[in-house]
Amino acid sequence: MTGINAVDRERLRRTTAPHLLCERARTRPDAVAFRSKAFGIYRERTWRDYAGLVARAARVLKSLGLKRGERVAIMGDVCEEWMICDLAVQSLGAIVYGIYPTAAPTEVAYQMRDGGASIFIAEDQEYVDKILPIAHELPDLRTILVIDDSAMFAYDHPKLRRFAEIAGNESGDIGWLEAEIATLSPGDPAFIVYTSGTTGHPKGALVTHGRHLAATDTVAAHYPTLREKAHRTVIYLPMCHVLGRDVAITLPLMTELVPHFGEDPEDLAATLFEVAPTVLFTVPRYLQKYASHVLVGMLGSSPLKRFVYNAAAHVSRRHVRRLWDGRATRLDGVAYRLLHRLVFAPILNKIGFDRLELVVSGGASLPTETATLWHIYGVNVVEMYGQTEEAGGIIAGQRGPFPRPGSVGTPADGVEVRLGAEGEVLVKSPDLFECYWNNEEATRAVKGADGWLRTGDVGEWKDGSLRLIDRARDFIVTSGGKTISPSFIENALRASPYVAEAVVFGHGRKYLTAVIEIDFDTVSDWARANNVAYTGFTSLTAHARVTELIQGEIDKVNSGLARVEQIKAFRILPKALDPEEEGEPVTPTRKVKRKQMYERFRELVDAMYDDSEERLIALGARGALPP
Amino acid sequence: MFRPTPRASGYFRTTYAADAALVQTRTEKIFLLLFLIALAVLPFAAGPFILDLACQFLLASIGALSLMLLTGYAGQISLGHAGLIAAGAFTTGILARETGAPFWVTLPASALTGIVLGFLFGLPSLRLRGLYLAVSTLALHFIVVYLGGEYETKRGFSTGIVIEPPSFGGIALRDGRAWYFVLLAAAAACLLVCVNLLRSRSGRAWLAIHARETVAEALGIGIARYKLLAFVISSAMTSVAGCLFAYYRGFVSIEAFDLFLSIQYVAMIIIGGMGSLLGAILGAAFVVVFPYLIENAIRLLPNAQRLAGDIFAVNYAAFGVVMILFLLFEPLGLVGIWRRIQNYFLLWPFKQRPLAGGRT
Repeated sequence: MTGINAVDRERLRRTTAPHLLCERARTRPDAVAFRSKAFGIYRERTWRDYAGLVARAARVLKSLGLKRGERVAIMGDVCEEWMICDLAVQSLGAIVYGIYPTAAPTEVAYQMRDGGASIFIAEDQEYVDKILPIAHELPDLRTILVIDDSAMFAYDHPKLRRFAEIAGNESGDIGWLEAEIATLSPGDPAFIVYTSGTTGHPKGALVTHGRHLAATDTVAAHYPTLREKAHRTVIYLPMCHVLGRDVAITLPLMTELVPHFGEDPEDLAATLFEVAPTVLFTVPRYLQKYASHVLVGMLGSSPLKRFVYNAAAHVSRRHVRRLWDGRATRLDGVAYRLLHRLVFAPILNKIGFDRLELVVSGGASLPTETATLWHIYGVNVVEMYGQTEEAGGIIAGQRGPFPRPGSVGTPADGVEVRLGAEGEVLVKSPDLFECYWNNEEATRAVKGADGWLRTGDVGEWKDGSLRLIDRARDFIVTSGGKTISPSFIENALRASPYVAEAVVFGHGRKYLTAVIEIDFDTVSDWARANNVAYTGFTSLTAHARVTELIQGEIDKVNSGLARVEQIKAFRILPKALDPEEEGEPVTPTRKVKRKQMYERFRELVDAMYDDSEERLIALGARGALPP
Repeated sequence: MFRPTPRASGYFRTTYAADAALVQTRTEKIFLLLFLIALAVLPFAAGPFILDLACQFLLASIGALSLMLLTGYAGQISLGHAGLIAAGAFTTGILARETGAPFWVTLPASALTGIVLGFLFGLPSLRLRGLYLAVSTLALHFIVVYLGGEYETKRGFSTGIVIEPPSFGGIALRDGRAWYFVLLAAAAACLLVCVNLLRSRSGRAWLAIHARETVAEALGIGIARYKLLAFVISSAMTSVAGCLFAYYRGFVSIEAFDLFLSIQYVAMIIIGGMGSLLGAILGAAFVVVFPYLIENAIRLLPNAQRLAGDIFAVNYAAFGVVMILFLLFEPLGLVGIWRRIQNYFLLWPFKQRPLAGGRT
């Protein structure tokens, strides 16, 4: 840790996000804070506009009687209004938390009750519909505030209020906001982030103002380019996730990152194309999805074009290998740059990835194949490792450029990492979350008395880098006694362009099996190109040719695996996994809950295991062997 | 034409003015600049024959663009195009001859004639469609030609009307190069008018009427109004082309405006590619250059001298064959070929647009 850095971080530890906002509004009022697309154009908001909007929203919330320490829940798609309301709540000293736009009704009810929000901010009518049916069961809920009331003409509910109605034509007064935040203390709680929780109910991690800023500084310090020059990024990760919050709200306040919002989250591809971001924070799923779109596009291309692509990929792979080893020669570089210009730059341009200087993947482990592919395309993909409990900070991250995939890099500045019993990753940092909301027991289990935070992940050191092996307690032990990490195999399966999700089973069984969710976009594209007739998702999954296709993908993965790790059988899910549906075995961030998955698709899984042996044993025991 | 997103990534627009810009990406700007330079250099690099060909092409492209507007976009078939050109040319000729009216009077007068004729002969389109409309526009052609012929014989100009070249500030326009730039400016202005009409309310209304009148009407589009507007605008531009034609040739005679001219204009938009302004321009170039190509091809044959008398017949026949071939094998016209070539490079290294990402 360098001296300057420590001073910087200490300064952040003693301030709050609203203070940083007002400071920017004073020191660089006319610089662009973010751009947000509305009616076809990217509206530019300066820091002065931004602070004014936050002040206006804070006034509205204050008029609704929001008091210090009360909770406010926000639910909606990623949009500028979320960010503005979030900072407005923080400005008033209240505690804000977000609910996933894809959360199922019981999930919404649980988080509303657990957080005890007195105000629920709904982005539009869609989210009003999610809260109204349960509004009477929530004694703490005073007001439902709807931002975009364009589809609200027939709604009438005593708790329902419209933002525009309260705000009127009044413009935000930064002076008023500054007076309001004067009494805000860096040690006060700022927000709660609900962990996505693949096991049990989500837990809400409470984070204070100062610690969050200091923790987020680990990201800025790890990737100094964020501070060195202006960067464009696209906001699409849900802001109720700690990574989404960092990228949309916190990092722009302390670096030169300029967020861009699309017109609609559905338009992400178009937004990326138009904005051509220079920095992207992402979760592996998007990198896989875009890679598979590119690959399927190449599969459908003409033989000549495909030949050129293959040749370029071949040469680039060699170059990338040398880059990882740090022994790329200049000649290599020239050939690579030429091919890049000829083949990969046009590919990247079509998806808006051609200006990317840094892509940070977090949230889940990034499959090696995916990272390698993007490196071949010339995109500097690095992996970082952090959890909600780090309050917006990271534990470790690859610095790059073009690091060898497979590890999560070196620990962040100011964060101590060691491996505990059974290789569990333990973290010590002055800037962590406070506690789980209303859950002393869980807090104690994670935050030990010794000051080391238990991550629950198993890791190992390799050449000074941290390598994650698996989530603790998520190993499969086969009946043969082999301990296998399913996520490793699942990641390999997900690297296929046709596989959206893969879940491996085999605990206490003779061999491993997998349940596959196909990627509807790419498989339907493949089906059209190969004259496979289908009418919809289910008919596609039932087609024998599709089964063959997936079998081929599994064979490819199997060839790289040890015998015990190979997938012996698989089934394709007849429907797409939808987190918004009740009881679906995925979290709102689309992480699969393995146990629920098994319960839900038990028949599908059991059918893959041939139990003739067991039956024979049973028959033998009963003395009923066939003659 | 209508651009939801630019051709390359990274061009996000922060104002509506930028959103409406015709040239968006850097590559487009570079190509446009190169094209403009080529256009500017052409008259100095080319001989008088090529220069005359270029001028003919520019005149034809104004006519083709206006017909494309009417037929290719608004979907109203017209065979009276030669009649409208004749109307423009005769308005100019008669005014210049009888009253000595200068250029800046005859040009708007020609446009006005076009507007009146367009309105009158647009009226049948409110009731008639397809072939019947085509026949009714044919009447326009014959009426104009008849009136023009009557004027010529009654006034004793049976060989045609000679017109003095127009003068700007006392300088007469005689030089081929000067004509080239004047016609280039006129064609460019016409193209810009068409482009902007098509991406505004009227253009969208025309496309809707073309696609299905009933639906367009249900959407609240005034069918009568927009059909007449299409006829009026198209006829006005065509008559202006006729006026320029009269000045460029310095001579107006009714023989120049036979039915074959109308067919040629229809051929331009079919060969060029229906529903594309670029198609109209490519078609104009093709139809202007094609006869010369045939002529040169025949000269290459042995016994060329003996075939000299048949050149016109061969020309007509070849023309018909080419049109049939286009209708059979390339219904999208020259612009279809152009787009295929363009897409090969724009989509590189893909064949189709990838699932993610922007337009190509």
